[in-house]
Amino acid sequence: MNSRFLNQMVIFAAAFASVFMLGSCKKYLDQQPITEVGSQAVFKDVNTTLQALAGVYGRLSGDAGYGLRLSLYYPVDNDLLMGPSGNQDDRRAMAHYSLTSLNSELPGPFNQLFEGISLANICIDEIPKMEMYSNGTDQQKAQLRRMQGEALTLRAQFYFEALRNWGDLPEHFLPSYLQATENPYPVRTDRDLIYDHILEDLKQAATLVPWRNEVSSVGDPVDERITKGAVKGLRARISLYRGGYSLRSSGTMQRGSNYQTYYQIARDETNDIISSNQHSLYPDYKALWRDIVCGHVVIDPNGELMFQVTAIGAGSTADTKMGYANGPRVNGQGNSFVNPLPHYFYLFDSTDIRRDVTIAPYDVAADGITKIGQASTNLRDGKYRRDWIKGPAISPTSAVQYFGIKWQLLRYSDVLLMFAEAENEINGPTSAAYNAVNMVRRRGYGKPVSTPDVAIDIPGGLSKADFFKYLVRERALELGAEGIRKYDLIRWNLLATGLAEAKTAMTTMSTRTGAISFSYMIGPPSYAANPANLPQTMYFRRTATTDDASIWANSLYKTSPSSAPSGTTAVNWVHSSIQSTIVTSATRYAFGFTPGKSELFPIPQQARDANPNLSQNPNY
Amino acid sequence: MTVKGSTSGTSTDNEGRYSISIPDRNNVVLVFSSVGFAAQEVVVGDRSTINQTLFSTSAALQDVVVIGYQTVRSRDVLASVSSISAKDLKDVPINNAAEALNGRLAGVTATSSEGSPDANVRIRIRGGMSITSSNEPLYVIDGVQVESGLSTISPQDIQTIDVLKDAAATAIYGARGANGVVIITTKSGRPGRTVISYNGLIGIRKLARKLDVLSPYEFVFYQAERSRQQGGQDSLSFLKNFGTTWDTLNVYKNVEAMDWQGEVFGKTGGTQTHNVTASGGGKKLTYNFGYTYNDDKAIVLNSSYKRHLLNLKGDYRVTDNLKVGLSSRYTLQNVYGAGVSAEGGSSLSRLRNTIRYRPFLSGAQDIDESDPFNDPNVGNGLILVNPIALANAEYRRKTTDAYNVTVNAQYTILKNLTFRSTVGFDRNKRTDRQFYDTLAPLSVQNGRKPLISLDTTEAKTLTNSNVFTYSIKGWKNDHNFDFLLGEETYDLKTKINTTQVRNYPLNIGYNDAFKEQTQGTVVTGYPRVSESRFTQLSFFGRVGYSFKDKYLLSANVRRDGASKFAPERRWGTFPAGSVAWRLKREKFMENVDFINDMKLRFGYGTMGNNRIADYLYQTIFSHNGSRYYGLNGQPVIAYVPTALPNQFLTWESTVNRNFGLDMTILKNRLDLSVDYYINSSKNLLLNVNIDPTYGFATQQQNVGKTSNKGIELQLNATILRKPGGLNWTANFNISHNKNQVDQLGPNQTQSLVGGVVDPRSWGVAGQPTDYILRIGESIGSMWGLVTDGFYTVSDFTYNATTSQYTLIPGTVADSAIIGTIQPGSIKFKDLNKDGKIDLNNDRTIIGNPNPKLTGGLNQQFTYKQWDASLFVNFMYDFDVYNANKIELTNAYSTNSNMLGIMQDRWRTVTPTGQNAQWVRNVNGVPTVFGIPPDQLSALNANAKIWQPLISNGAFIPHSWAIEDGSFLRINNLTVGYTLPIKGFTSVHLSKLRFYLTANNLAIITNYSGYDPEVSVRTDARTPNLDYSAYPKSRSFIFGVNATF
Repeated sequence: MNSRFLNQMVIFAAAFASVFMLGSCKKYLDQQPITEVGSQAVFKDVNTTLQALAGVYGRLSGDAGYGLRLSLYYPVDNDLLMGPSGNQDDRRAMAHYSLTSLNSELPGPFNQLFEGISLANICIDEIPKMEMYSNGTDQQKAQLRRMQGEALTLRAQFYFEALRNWGDLPEHFLPSYLQATENPYPVRTDRDLIYDHILEDLKQAATLVPWRNEVSSVGDPVDERITKGAVKGLRARISLYRGGYSLRSSGTMQRGSNYQTYYQIARDETNDIISSNQHSLYPDYKALWRDIVCGHVVIDPNGELMFQVTAIGAGSTADTKMGYANGPRVNGQGNSFVNPLPHYFYLFDSTDIRRDVTIAPYDVAADGITKIGQASTNLRDGKYRRDWIKGPAISPTSAVQYFGIKWQLLRYSDVLLMFAEAENEINGPTSAAYNAVNMVRRRGYGKPVSTPDVAIDIPGGLSKADFFKYLVRERALELGAEGIRKYDLIRWNLLATGLAEAKTAMTTMSTRTGAISFSYMIGPPSYAANPANLPQTMYFRRTATTDDASIWANSLYKTSPSSAPSGTTAVNWVHSSIQSTIVTSATRYAFGFTPGKSELFPIPQQARDANPNLSQNPNY
Repeated sequence: MTVKGSTSGTSTDNEGRYSISIPDRNNVVLVFSSVGFAAQEVVVGDRSTINQTLFSTSAALQDVVVIGYQTVRSRDVLASVSSISAKDLKDVPINNAAEALNGRLAGVTATSSEGSPDANVRIRIRGGMSITSSNEPLYVIDGVQVESGLSTISPQDIQTIDVLKDAAATAIYGARGANGVVIITTKSGRPGRTVISYNGLIGIRKLARKLDVLSPYEFVFYQAERSRQQGGQDSLSFLKNFGTTWDTLNVYKNVEAMDWQGEVFGKTGGTQTHNVTASGGGKKLTYNFGYTYNDDKAIVLNSSYKRHLLNLKGDYRVTDNLKVGLSSRYTLQNVYGAGVSAEGGSSLSRLRNTIRYRPFLSGAQDIDESDPFNDPNVGNGLILVNPIALANAEYRRKTTDAYNVTVNAQYTILKNLTFRSTVGFDRNKRTDRQFYDTLAPLSVQNGRKPLISLDTTEAKTLTNSNVFTYSIKGWKNDHNFDFLLGEETYDLKTKINTTQVRNYPLNIGYNDAFKEQTQGTVVTGYPRVSESRFTQLSFFGRVGYSFKDKYLLSANVRRDGASKFAPERRWGTFPAGSVAWRLKREKFMENVDFINDMKLRFGYGTMGNNRIADYLYQTIFSHNGSRYYGLNGQPVIAYVPTALPNQFLTWESTVNRNFGLDMTILKNRLDLSVDYYINSSKNLLLNVNIDPTYGFATQQQNVGKTSNKGIELQLNATILRKPGGLNWTANFNISHNKNQVDQLGPNQTQSLVGGVVDPRSWGVAGQPTDYILRIGESIGSMWGLVTDGFYTVSDFTYNATTSQYTLIPGTVADSAIIGTIQPGSIKFKDLNKDGKIDLNNDRTIIGNPNPKLTGGLNQQFTYKQWDASLFVNFMYDFDVYNANKIELTNAYSTNSNMLGIMQDRWRTVTPTGQNAQWVRNVNGVPTVFGIPPDQLSALNANAKIWQPLISNGAFIPHSWAIEDGSFLRINNLTVGYTLPIKGFTSVHLSKLRFYLTANNLAIITNYSGYDPEVSVRTDARTPNLDYSAYPKSRSFIFGVNATF
């Protein structure tokens, strides 16, 4: 090899070295997100933290949350309401308890609830670590403490919803990125332990979150965010579930251990709320729904609406389908998923305002005004109804499906009834328990809540057991179609009974012989209990424009006239079609219900495929 | 010309004359040679005048190919490379150069997704390997990686396209090489006088095929039939809509049919392209400047396409050692028209309106007047609108504004050592403006007010590569070495801006709507902005060695670092090696005369695929407006984590093994290449289902494995070769590829996709999946029920008293799929033999999207002044999922027309209007009634297909919709004539050629849809879907090539 060749090699080596110098800047490969950001940028100040919290709140609403599925699909069928017909493995199978673990409606809500939990976990982990949390101004500290409390409360709500639908579940109280890799296949934890954890969380949250009348003093605007009343009300509600029955992995309905402890918590928490005088009943039951809820009002002046799931954006992410998926159809549009059952109609007293709020016996014609009466087998739930919506109203020709109507998760009347129930369980039917129930009743009849009224109040001197039966009915009358009933029946271990007796009641109506009665609750008023005295056919005026039972041309409490009143159209009412279309139909009311199975939904197959350690619920 | 065995020689003059002195005429052999021609040896003998004609050598042997960062003679290539040159492109009057690759190169498919002028052309080199990431090859134009593929370059400006197919060639591109590499070299100027050339063409486009639909009478007849399904009487809505009873139904026999396809797709489109180039230069400077204008009036109403392309390329020799070059391009492209479909569900299909809209005008209805009928099924978005009115109600303009500047400098440090540095900057900005007036389905779902969406995507790429090459030729006579060493940086910034505005006042025009967004309401969560940056740093080297030109060896390695991964997993190494043995140089082959050259190759190597989203390894919160919560009636935009991070993420990688044989035989007249390859990929990214109790249903993990095996054959033949006479050359290729999924996520043997499950195929809410990923099967396998004809009366018992039909117990029942079973209801196979049809147990793989064979044959002829070419391509034995057929034969919505095949349906009404079969609720149970079985059978003696599906199951995928797509297409036929030049010398015209071309002239196929070469979804998991595709057109072109 000559020297020229060596020379070339030296130059080549130098070139080689220079090439590696050129791009050796290590920072070149460190690219950080630009429009997306890391957690330090999110948990930086009050405003950005609120935006992270909005992500947690956001998992309440939308189609997979209380915007549709959790509020309208999951809570039917029960002893008052029925879902839509059909036997495919979708919302219809779910409604009638014939679902399988592959049901298409399972994964969405299941996943969304746990997404909510995981988002809350990040906030709960990060907020106390913020510099401002310890060293900010008093106002900043109070605002961040409130948000910490809200995150704890929201996590409790998500877990609560998951536990009552699926039973035991994996326990996650830390951010997922810390856990998922090292423990990819977590096992299910006993629900009582998780309940205990979230009840402790709520206890802590109540010390962090202000009462509704203190919000301004913290420096926050008055809006739909959680306040102390909601935290305590939720703690009371969850305590009743912790102390109530649920389907255990053994396949039997069992009550949680030390149940009285939890009734005591429920009693104390509701008592705190009542005696705080922060919340009260809105005087007009119908206006509460028509003008406040369907009127897009932010909050009611009484604070009766204690925990609202907001709705915005006209999409499946953060809005609700209230008034489209349920309620009367307008101009043929809407799904009317939720159908009140015929005997539920007669559970109400004829002067109970709540009857025509809870049940809408009509659809609305293309003009947006004229009402089309519906058969008793085809009633619509009425608290969220499209024809009531205002601010802005919905044009009858609009094909929009999202109206920005908020789902009501907790009302003050539920707090009063929970108080009465817990008080009765622990101390018997005390006057405080009576008073709580009667306040709810009086408001339901449009009367002053604090003035005793023998015509309305429940009878005095009841036994503990009888008081409970009145309470079971009162919750049906007050809270109907608010997504509560099915779960109440489960925690009382009355779901199987309720469904069976509802069928009996409907058969009684269908055959028009015998009387409607229930073993577990007080039945209809005496004048409505005997189907033979009720109309077989109802006639509605083709020009009816009102939004209540006055669309009818004949009495709801007398047998039908022998011929149709002029200008009316007939629909079946207390009629044999009730039996064929509801009770004995192979695709309708609760036909798949199996005790010891149907009290829980199956764990979605998708989740079990991803985690072989997730055992299935009994009998699925 | 030389004297063999000596150093003496001479050259001919301009007219080919020569003279040479020779020592001894008896033993002298003259060797005639010239660049590009095969050398000829002539024994002089006693002649004093020797006239010798030279023949050009086989094109492939004299060409050079560009392989990563280097140019080599194609005969020395150790890798599998296919090339196409300007001459092959000149007669293909297309806008997208990518389309020109279709069928011309072994192992390369270029499928346009549909027939629109800007249709996405999906290039796959040896099939796709990746499941969820992009399978697009890497594009390198003039040495610079570009993201925009071939869409910003005019076919007329391309000199060559080299497609690198195996690791031996692509591994030098490391993490970006797994899908193959397409290297484009644009035309350069040559020293000499300025040459100006003009290439122009004009032509017309025609719809290639129409779908047969029911006539007005048949349409109304069926609507009456449908309206009687429940209860047996004409429904009120039927009477309202058609204002007739059976007595007067006959009037529709005389109603003039509206050919909506003809009106919407049947417009004669026009196409024109004008390309002007100027090139030339001197000793120091050479240049090439080009301008191309494309104007395409597509066949679809209100669709058109306009594009301006400018390019400038220059090379400057600064000193003998230093050369600098510039290459730049500018593109402005506008595509007008909403097209036929959009990714997503059925509500976005526009084809539906063209096929299903009532096939006649009612009363005084104008041809573009919207529907006087009620919209059916607004809820599912299956609105039917007059297709002309709809086309006028939707406005769309997609603009691409792109430029690219590349500068390179090459310095020859020593004779054998050069350094080359290239800097490229590329910017691509795409704006998509869409306006929906009140008739459009999107507007209807949003309260019948006009709305817009406005998306802008801007990508900026900055690349720099620095490469040393060093070579030693003839060391100790027989040894040749090549060294290459380089470094590259790649920096991509992407910014996406989207906004949606709703609730504009009625009658606002699209221009005002885009300009004055304050007249509407910005949709909650918009505008959204998303910005990201990706950087990559790479080092690479290659060593080439050859011994006596007989044994060739090459090894290369690349090390890539990318910002997409966690710091400790950032770097990957991609090695490859290849060897070749030129047998022809062995002694034993010397006398095998019919073989002119023969080479065996083997290559092995690893490449990566980094086409994944950025930042996936870390927890990041997005704030892009997609998540929010309402407070006080205002949305609070939320920070939410975008995904559960996976810090272990790394490259997808592919190991490739390639065996090849190259041969040149029959006096250099036939080149043959055969390649056999086995590719196996691992670490494929899958969105693995994880325990959803962690708050995320999926996580990106490197778990998938797939493999591709295939064989390719390419033949280039000079069949006839007669200067001044008939010349005939042919290129033929054929290839076979088998794809297979080898591994999915943990505990996972299959995964269902399609339907309305991401990635979506088509359909309405609740529709089941229709594709499957399953271990052992190919990606994109189609999944569904197996069609089994329809029920007949013999499946039922008949009660003559009640006229009731009851399904015979034990008959397989599909009521869970279709609802009430009647005579004439569609039937499916009961695969698990449990007596009932259900989706969970009775679906199977019903289609394979991969062709057994693909290929093409291109033939070129010249005879004196005439030239001609004929190009056919084919695909054999593959399945197309004709989803149109499912939707367009159901009767889910009222007043919807159907495909003509439904004429032969099972009928439930007699020709004279008597009910023959109907359903009524008995005790809440739907029950079938009808005329006696013998009469019902007689009525349907000629029925070939089931009753249209009305509700449940109307959109269920089943095997009837899977069709064999095998086809042979006469893709291009061109005849050209070059004028004799002499008469034009006064205008310096050096060449003038006219030609006529027919594109997509004919297709031979059994496929029943518009065209079997269709794939409307970009995701690899949902291929070959024919759903609402833009129909393909046939074009006839007249063109001119002139050179001054």
